[in-house]
Amino acid sequence: MHELLLFASVPTHQHHELLRQLAGLTAMQPHHRVERRLVFKAYRKPGVITTRVGASQDVQGADMQRLNKMLNGGMFYTQVVGPVSELAFGAKPSSSRNPDALMSGMGELPPSNENADNSYAYENQPWKLEFRDIPEAGTRSAVTSRLMASSTLPKGDIIESMNAWGYSFVTEYVVEGDIFIHNDIVIFLHRVLHYPTEGQEPNEPRRILPPFETMTPLERTGSYVLQAAITVQDGGNQEMMKTASQHLFGLREQLKSAVRLEQADRLSLDTRAK
Amino acid sequence: MSDSLSLPLRPLIEESDRPDALPVEIAQINAQWGAFRDVNEDSLRAQIEQEKYKDPYADDDDENDEDTSATDVDSAERLDLLYRRRAEITQFALQAHMEAMFALDFVSLLLSKQQPRQAETSMSAFLKQTAPLGSLDAEVVHPPPKPESAAVDTKTVSRGWRLQNFNAGANRLLDAATRLETEVASETRYWNEVLAVKEKGWKVCRLPRDRQALGVQYGFMEATPIFRDRGLAALRRADDGSLMLDKGLAPQRARMVRVRVKSCKGISGCSRVHPSSTNNAESIEDRIFQARDTLYEEELFHELFREARILGNQGVTTRQNLLQVPVSSGQEILLDLVDMDGDPTPDDPEIASTEDDTLANAISHSIHILLAYAHRQNLRRRTQPPPPLVPKRRHTPEYQLLRPVMAYLQHSSHVRWLESFLGDLHQVLKAAGLQFELNASPFSSLRLPTTPSIPAAEALVQTFLIPFESTFSCKLPSAQGSFKVRVRTSAMSPPLGTHFDISVNIPEYPDSQPPNRIGLQEEAAEVLTHFTMLDILSAIAHNSSPSAWTAVYPHHGELMAISPTGQNKKLQVTLSRHEISVRASSARGFEHPAEATDKKPVRSQTWKPNTPTESLSLMDFVAEISKDDS
Amino acid sequence: MTTPSQDQIKTLEQSRQRLAHLTRSLASLITSLNQSDPLPTWSSLQSQATIISRNLGSVSEHLSENHELLTSLVAFPGPEYPGRTQANILEQLLRTKLDPRVDDWVARGRKAGTSALEDRGSLSERDLADLWDWAPVAANEDARRRNWGGNFTLEERESGIQNVVTGLKRQLEDDDDDDEDEDEEDDDQGEEDEMEIVGARKSGTGPGLEFDIAAVASQDQTPVAPVVPLGEILRYMTTGAPPGQR
Repeated sequence: MHELLLFASVPTHQHHELLRQLAGLTAMQPHHRVERRLVFKAYRKPGVITTRVGASQDVQGADMQRLNKMLNGGMFYTQVVGPVSELAFGAKPSSSRNPDALMSGMGELPPSNENADNSYAYENQPWKLEFRDIPEAGTRSAVTSRLMASSTLPKGDIIESMNAWGYSFVTEYVVEGDIFIHNDIVIFLHRVLHYPTEGQEPNEPRRILPPFETMTPLERTGSYVLQAAITVQDGGNQEMMKTASQHLFGLREQLKSAVRLEQADRLSLDTRAK
Repeated sequence: MSDSLSLPLRPLIEESDRPDALPVEIAQINAQWGAFRDVNEDSLRAQIEQEKYKDPYADDDDENDEDTSATDVDSAERLDLLYRRRAEITQFALQAHMEAMFALDFVSLLLSKQQPRQAETSMSAFLKQTAPLGSLDAEVVHPPPKPESAAVDTKTVSRGWRLQNFNAGANRLLDAATRLETEVASETRYWNEVLAVKEKGWKVCRLPRDRQALGVQYGFMEATPIFRDRGLAALRRADDGSLMLDKGLAPQRARMVRVRVKSCKGISGCSRVHPSSTNNAESIEDRIFQARDTLYEEELFHELFREARILGNQGVTTRQNLLQVPVSSGQEILLDLVDMDGDPTPDDPEIASTEDDTLANAISHSIHILLAYAHRQNLRRRTQPPPPLVPKRRHTPEYQLLRPVMAYLQHSSHVRWLESFLGDLHQVLKAAGLQFELNASPFSSLRLPTTPSIPAAEALVQTFLIPFESTFSCKLPSAQGSFKVRVRTSAMSPPLGTHFDISVNIPEYPDSQPPNRIGLQEEAAEVLTHFTMLDILSAIAHNSSPSAWTAVYPHHGELMAISPTGQNKKLQVTLSRHEISVRASSARGFEHPAEATDKKPVRSQTWKPNTPTESLSLMDFVAEISKDDS
Repeated sequence: MTTPSQDQIKTLEQSRQRLAHLTRSLASLITSLNQSDPLPTWSSLQSQATIISRNLGSVSEHLSENHELLTSLVAFPGPEYPGRTQANILEQLLRTKLDPRVDDWVARGRKAGTSALEDRGSLSERDLADLWDWAPVAANEDARRRNWGGNFTLEERESGIQNVVTGLKRQLEDDDDDDEDEDEEDDDQGEEDEMEIVGARKSGTGPGLEFDIAAVASQDQTPVAPVVPLGEILRYMTTGAPPGQR
């Protein structure tokens, strides 16, 4: 699968207005979204793992194959993404007493929706592995284009599984923003939030989330990133790739009086682990 | 136009007598050709030749220049007028320039004697060529004083023109004020009406193709693009400022989807016009409503048509502007798109009765609601993350508009048949004094939804899109036996159509079970009668301890009583939806039932509903037979 | 009979200059008319007309101020003038008779000026003169009392501009008073949580709709440009490398 993207930087003061404009453009209310994002880095040469990862009951066979293929391709940074509810921040941890119930809730629902009380069960956190290649070089079209794949991971603690695949935890952050859908294009107006730093950065994902108010934007003026993305099933199909970039250009044109959507600097999206 | 306003500075209006034409003409000739002596025959002839090929209208109204009422000239004429005025201005300016040049040349030449360098700068090139510098002399003389009359005359001329110019200026200001006033009034009216539209909750926006114009959006964002894009009309301003709804090329007529019910006798019902849009087509909001409703109706018909095309196998037929949907034998639903003006139910000779008006209206409401539901589904789909792009275009599935209606009507017809069948059976058994308990829950699948994740309105509609189900349970005469009928109709997912699922519980005959999924009413009726009959047999066998009836050929309704005296007796029970009868005969032994019919019946009795028989109940009758000859 | 004095020459020189201005302004009008199709902008036409009128006025003023001298000055061709060959030019230059059209114009003015005084009930010559003295000043004063620009009418301002429904998202400034603080409060109240869905979407091909995005400046926050470049943010998101370090 291929992903074509355009980006724009959105200053804080323009954020609200842009939300309105996007709501108008896409004729929909924004879908608010908060995601935990864990950054992992490959530490082992590829092609040596044939491990059966434990605790992977909720990963289907096809997904499993895809995972293996993705993770054994080369030395890459990769992301593990998990949706959370804003309510989960600052909530007390809840241990999962009923593992069967957890298995059934395999959907995309943030865990705290399942529990009436405001608690956050790390064991119940769904994850997705999002693999992205370095954007293609030398494409003359003015969009960022890259190979992508994603796959569902086991819930809860994924460190062990990732280690087994040869990946080590680097850091984690939170992405907060709003999603709009414009035909084939997913528009995500978001920003990166940092966890409050109390001494040592933990070297594994947090099990408890701090209150949302204590999260600080990476970009300290609070600016947002506008990302417009479109996925193409078969990246080898030039016709489709062209159509997709034309759709993105159309959007760029429609938004031009508000923001300037551009191709990203290729090296800033370099996922290769050196 | 503003005569009511009298200003003291306006002098009496001079009767606009035509200015003497000759001086004007001489001036014109001067301007056009220069001095008279330069005009000769050749140049004039050349000019005439030129004129022949010119637009005859281009030059014809130098005379009546002032008041060509500008309102009714079209743009081409206006442009023409504009160019003529421009030529006039240029001509005046040229003449003025020429006169001023003469004066300047004169003064310059005069001065060139004393100040040749400066004076030369302002002399025309022509003069420099012809007259040497300083060739003009001047002397101061003491002329006789001018007569008083000359000064007075100058004053008079000046006063005259001042007055006239003030007059013209005042008129212009008043004209401008009047024009602005009417303009302000109509702008105010226009904007007030626009505001009123907006305050009613309509979305007012700029038109995408005509950035200067405002538009109102009344369409449906989730409709098919061709209908979605039509949901926008310009809000134009009439000259008096009133608001006009400009829908462009879209038809102005109000239209609606008409639903008619046709039975064998003719049209037996027709849907009513929706009242919202008909009462007053005058106000702008009503016109917006009408435009919106018509758009919705047209989209509805379009989508009905699209769905009908895939329902050919279910007997739905389409013609140019008509859909025919069979619902049951002898009943058909007709759908068409008709103009709403006038009576929507004209004196159609086919109209036989109005008994099905309610049905027609209900169908009409249903398809409207179902389209709204489809819109909601579109919104839901559209705002989900899209799948990756693939070469194949995503096919928009046909909306479920006709299918739920057809399924409902079909289901309801089957359920009504089953109710009446079981009712009849009940009556028959009651007449025979047998117990029969019927418990019907028609449309048991329609339950008010309690799913919190989707809005109640959508959840409610959803229950009409899943297969319809009705259940009937019966307690049979033996008190141990029972059966349960589940009627299920599905229009969307296979198995299509209506099916009866019958499950029977008769302890005596645990192995006898009806076939699965019965499709025909007759077959279902047969099964139900048969198993009721079986249960009656077991009831008889249970009740008759003295002579111990046993069912020998239960599926043929035969019981036998072996008497110790050797006189065997036989009972034959037959049950139908209309009657039950018992025939008793004597038999020697186990015989084949076919042969047994030859025997002369000892006694027989038939029970029918509503024929009051003073006779015994079935059980008493059997008991009597048991006692006979024993 | 004397030759003109130095002062008189100076007067003539002034006439020459003023006439030169007038000629130039007329020439410029003609040029601009010729160069534009169909017409120059009305504002440029108007300003040119004003200039011509002013120059005309200054010529006229000069002529009447020096009426005495100019009526007593007589011009005649000197011996150097090639009178034989260029007689018609001389005629043109020394012409005192009015152009027929001007003559007609004078005649019309005379008629109007005479009839204005003849009619009973109309103003006397003196009254007219008084009126014309008074009117320009009065008109000017009246004009000065009004605000010819501005976003609000007097009526609207009297009943309070915060009540005016402009339908605009940006705040109209009122030149006269500076109660902007109040205005901002009003603005915040009107804000809704729901986004208004306006306009329609553009379909990829064919006749479709387009959404109108107006670039509207937000009024409640002062613009702050992001300090971390987009590339750095993306890099952090990709590899966890903090901005500012490579």
